[in-house]
Amino acid sequence: MKKPASRSLIALSTSALALPGIAEADAPPLTSSLSYKISNYQEDDLSREQVPFGELERYDIDVHQFQFVSPLGRDYALFIDANHENMSGASPWFSTAGSNGQPVINMSGASGIYDSRSEVSLGVRYYGARGNIGGAIGYSEENDYRAKYVSMSGSRNFNNDLTTLTVSLSHSDDSIFPSDAERFNRVRHENKQASSVAVSLSQVLNPVASFQTALSLTGQSGYLSDPYKLQDSRPDGKTQITFSNSLRYFFIKADGALQSDYRYYRDDFGIRSHTLDLSWFQNVTRSFKIVPMLRYYSQSAADFYTNIDDFLKPLSESQSSDYRLSAFGAVSGGLSFVTDFGGWSATLTAERYVANEKYSAFTVAQPSPGLVQFTRLSLGVNYAF
Amino acid sequence: MRLILSFIMLALLAACSQVQPWERGYLAKQEMAWDSDPLERALNDHIFFSKEASSGGNTAAGGGCGCN
Amino acid sequence: MMKRGFLTLGLGLMTSALVGLAHAVEEGDPAPDFSIPSIYADQPAIALADMPGKTVYVDFWASWCAPCLTSLPLYNDLYNKYRDQGLEVVAINVDNPIEDGLDFLLDTPLDFLIPSDPEGDMATQFNVIGMPSSYLIGPDGKVKLVHMGFRPTDMEMIEAAIVANLPD
Repeated sequence: MKKPASRSLIALSTSALALPGIAEADAPPLTSSLSYKISNYQEDDLSREQVPFGELERYDIDVHQFQFVSPLGRDYALFIDANHENMSGASPWFSTAGSNGQPVINMSGASGIYDSRSEVSLGVRYYGARGNIGGAIGYSEENDYRAKYVSMSGSRNFNNDLTTLTVSLSHSDDSIFPSDAERFNRVRHENKQASSVAVSLSQVLNPVASFQTALSLTGQSGYLSDPYKLQDSRPDGKTQITFSNSLRYFFIKADGALQSDYRYYRDDFGIRSHTLDLSWFQNVTRSFKIVPMLRYYSQSAADFYTNIDDFLKPLSESQSSDYRLSAFGAVSGGLSFVTDFGGWSATLTAERYVANEKYSAFTVAQPSPGLVQFTRLSLGVNYAF
Repeated sequence: MRLILSFIMLALLAACSQVQPWERGYLAKQEMAWDSDPLERALNDHIFFSKEASSGGNTAAGGGCGCN
Repeated sequence: MMKRGFLTLGLGLMTSALVGLAHAVEEGDPAPDFSIPSIYADQPAIALADMPGKTVYVDFWASWCAPCLTSLPLYNDLYNKYRDQGLEVVAINVDNPIEDGLDFLLDTPLDFLIPSDPEGDMATQFNVIGMPSSYLIGPDGKVKLVHMGFRPTDMEMIEAAIVANLPD
């Protein structure tokens, strides 16, 4: 006769998966859990100044995320993830010089472009006395894109579980087959691969603080250009590294926790970036938290970025007016409300993101007219049973 | 830059203490996890991967999409 | 600032070395003679000396330790099954603040003795190296079983060890 698990246990069971320093850090989850999150992402319309002719509306995306986690036998856990997103809207097609010589955007296609993406992944993890090891495989598909990926990671604890070393490897294989390829003289079918290795070290500093540092290296090869942009040609290989540091600190008097994450990124397209994420988890009652969040991001431009397309330049030379390769900075702020009751937990999140060349920490030689601003709203639910 | 980094390292080491297994109550809180909300982390990774040039820094494997 | 940092590091290393030197409680050793206040303010202290000739199962647990919370109701069933045959269960709570431990107990009634060790003095004496940790003490006062961690499948082994060491 199995007694139902107490509410305290349910509250703990899923969180034990990713906690620094908890002894018996390598216990698999003790209860199963099901999570669902629905989000709406909406980009601000562009202005007539930026887009003299055509569609002003950008992307509007609805996202559905599912996750199922379950203990498997004594020492294993199973992870199943599935996502589905619906997107509509237009994106920048090419950039030209406007009436004053300033860069202006021409948007792709008519309004009402609709695409959807589905993704599923399956993972298994083994939990031993001193560490854990696991792997996952995944598949993603949309109208014009297919991706397959595999990953493996292992952790080892040292020093009475105060220190943890984690190594992870992943590889993905993608295919792109652009829509309307013949009509717009796009590539028909191209491939790209990416392989990545990451190492991280976490250390419990004292009863209220822990620190993590990580390094990752990724190599991409194949077709890396954007086929939907008229004059976009990128190198057929890219190497990127990241260096991250994270801190978790609990303030006993305030009954709140600070989460701080910093990442430095560098690749051989010439892009360097800084990302700083700060979140404050304020406990209000035993079952309610408020979490304000702030993010600062800034990147430098790619070596071959130009904010006005040069149609006379041969495509054998790298070039792109994609705003995502320009120098800019972005500030985003968000707020979450988290509540839990019984085996349930719900999170409501709102976030606002604004990119602007004025926020850049790097020199902006050519500002992009197509920087994005968006608003995101999410509702997530989790049930442990 | 190196001087700042060494100061940070020493400050962290100074904060280090041997935490006993029964003293890990605060570290066990949900808000002290490296990943308090995995779905939120996955969503953010996906959004920023398609809107910015940087990617990675997490051990989680990405799902490809035709968005970069 | 640098000097203070190194001093703290040095003291930290020394303390951990000393804890390491503390004699680990192993199977065959005599059990530490404990006397610990109950988690309930209105109940008397719990002492090993008050349980002569009994089989005592000592377990260290906390409200923030998920495997601990899974084990306690299972230990409760075990306790009720063998209490008349001389089994005592002493579940030492290490929560600090104590209220966290009491809060869990409001949801989950338990029939055995629950001392409170918020400073970890008892945990240090038993040289606990992971949560949960349990120690089976035979009627002769000697430690018969030391078990770290908990999965529900461990109950079979624990029950067998208890049965093998019940007072005759």
